[in-house]
Amino acid sequence: MSNLYEYIKMAVHNIMANKGRSFLTMLGIIIGIASVIAIVSIGEGTKNQMNSEIDDIGGGQIAISMSSDAQTAEEYITADDVEAVRELDGIEGVNVSDSYDGETTTGKGNFTLMVTGEGPDAKLLNNATMKHGVYFGENEVQEGKNVCVLSDSDAKRLFGTDDVVGMSLDVNCYGLTKSLRICGVTTQKENGTFVSYTYEGMPVTVNVPYTTMNEFTGTSDYFFSMSIQADKSLDSQSIADKVVNLLEKRHQCSGEDYFQVQSFQDIMSSMNQMLDMVTAFISFVAGISLLVGGIGVMNIMLVSVTERTREIGIRKSLGAKTSSIMLQFLAEAAILTVIGGLIGIVLGVIGGYAICSIISSSMGMIITPGISLKTIMAATLFSCAVGVFFGIYPAKKAAKLSPIEALRRN
Amino acid sequence: MEEALIRVKDLCKIYNPGENEVRALDHINLEIDKGEFVAIIGQSGSGKSTFMNMLGCLDVPTSGEYFLNGTDVSTMEDNELSEVRNREIGFIFQGFNLISNLTAIENVELPLVYRGVDRKTRHKLAVESLTMVGLEKRMDHKPNEMSGGQQQRVAIARALAAQPPVILADEPTGNLDSASSKEILEILKSMHKQGKTVILITHDNGIAAQARRVVRIIDGKIESDFINENYGKEEYVKNQLDA
Repeated sequence: MSNLYEYIKMAVHNIMANKGRSFLTMLGIIIGIASVIAIVSIGEGTKNQMNSEIDDIGGGQIAISMSSDAQTAEEYITADDVEAVRELDGIEGVNVSDSYDGETTTGKGNFTLMVTGEGPDAKLLNNATMKHGVYFGENEVQEGKNVCVLSDSDAKRLFGTDDVVGMSLDVNCYGLTKSLRICGVTTQKENGTFVSYTYEGMPVTVNVPYTTMNEFTGTSDYFFSMSIQADKSLDSQSIADKVVNLLEKRHQCSGEDYFQVQSFQDIMSSMNQMLDMVTAFISFVAGISLLVGGIGVMNIMLVSVTERTREIGIRKSLGAKTSSIMLQFLAEAAILTVIGGLIGIVLGVIGGYAICSIISSSMGMIITPGISLKTIMAATLFSCAVGVFFGIYPAKKAAKLSPIEALRRN
Repeated sequence: MEEALIRVKDLCKIYNPGENEVRALDHINLEIDKGEFVAIIGQSGSGKSTFMNMLGCLDVPTSGEYFLNGTDVSTMEDNELSEVRNREIGFIFQGFNLISNLTAIENVELPLVYRGVDRKTRHKLAVESLTMVGLEKRMDHKPNEMSGGQQQRVAIARALAAQPPVILADEPTGNLDSASSKEILEILKSMHKQGKTVILITHDNGIAAQARRVVRIIDGKIESDFINENYGKEEYVKNQLDA
């Protein structure tokens, strides 16, 4: 094996002597590797983009909802529960949110409303940025002030302008009409890539303190769900467990599973799982093209063995051993696939960037291909493996030729 | 008594054993000493090519013994035979058998590559032997850029570079014009003078007559084996052998 260098030299020599054919042989491998790399990197890029978008909106959010098994009011979440949960470590805010239908009439006409009663941390949980005024907070909630918050686009629908702080809105809900002072206008989130919705005819959302909401409905502080903003750096699952433990203790219903948890971590991981599956499937299809490429290499090597029977005979008569011939042909197949693989990696990376920039410009989102060293290493190793695997059969065939048989052929 | 370089005893090669068997070689006995210049002559189908394959360790006999340089090679495995060919035998073929995409010097270096000789030594030996056949100015030419005579000289250089004890030339002038043939034969004679053992296989009486000793094969048997009395008078005959 000390002669390995010589065999590699011979192989390179032969590849260079048949440049056109060598390139065509590599083509299958190039396309296979390039498509695998491009697909995986676009998939990774999309996933990263989705994750960061979702993380901005809902990272660290946990939703607790009542299971339908909970029948009596004693089990429902109370305002005291909310306060208790707010005191826990690692929790930045808690919100409750119950929505009811309502309606209003302004200079612009009649509108259907979705009146949502919220808690003191509503601004944080809604991830709201203020355009005008302020969001209601702890004081307004405790005192049940008649205030409300709108989004700028809803404000425009109602009044034709978003500069409406201080104006009042007559809200009819549960047969009761209240005049609410608009204390803040939020900026409607830029339409994200994956999370966005607004359409005409959708009800106008009016956010009010839940204490104010109670005046409409006539009920007191019971909630069917609450959302929690946990510290993003902590594990949401363990925080969720802590919250559920606390609630079960307060309601003395341990083990009844009345409080159900859904965290953004769950949603994200199930979405990632789905995306991974899609990527894996497409990669599998691309992998088949790689397999076909490998068979192409094998075919050409077989033809090459037949063509070079005489050369093999000469080499054997000069003292080449079976292993020498085998290594020479194996090296040739391996070098072809490795070079093909390297070209494929370069093209795949370029292709990944090109496709991502097309997607970015045509669909108005920014996706950077996620090219990892892992992917590239795996692709390289795989192409080496393909080369060696598909090189073995032709190489064996070449090495087994008897020298007189080989010399006799012309 | 010193062991002969080549000693063949009761050598048989039978193709298609069974009903339609062909006895290509039928109990051949032959000894060739170091430094001899032997022509093996026979018509096509006489078995001389089969005999040359045996002598060159390209094929193994059906039965019989073949001692080359003191070792029995008739029972060796493929890889051992490769090793023997590499060390003991320098081939010169009718069709030159150079590798077309290698230059003259790369072709000459090839047996040394398989022997595992380092690059410097290899290069030195190849240059020496190419110089010996007068091709020192054509070392970087490929076979298709050379005449038949030159190609055969490259092949001879290749056989010499490995410095084997036996030079086995199979119809070396078969594809050449008469002028080139003469050149090649002169080179073979000078190799003999330098002490190499040269075995020349041919069907041509005129060419066989250039050798010191002539062995005639007919139907797989040695028909005659005699010393060529007309061989260069100044030649000092070391080892005479009777059949």
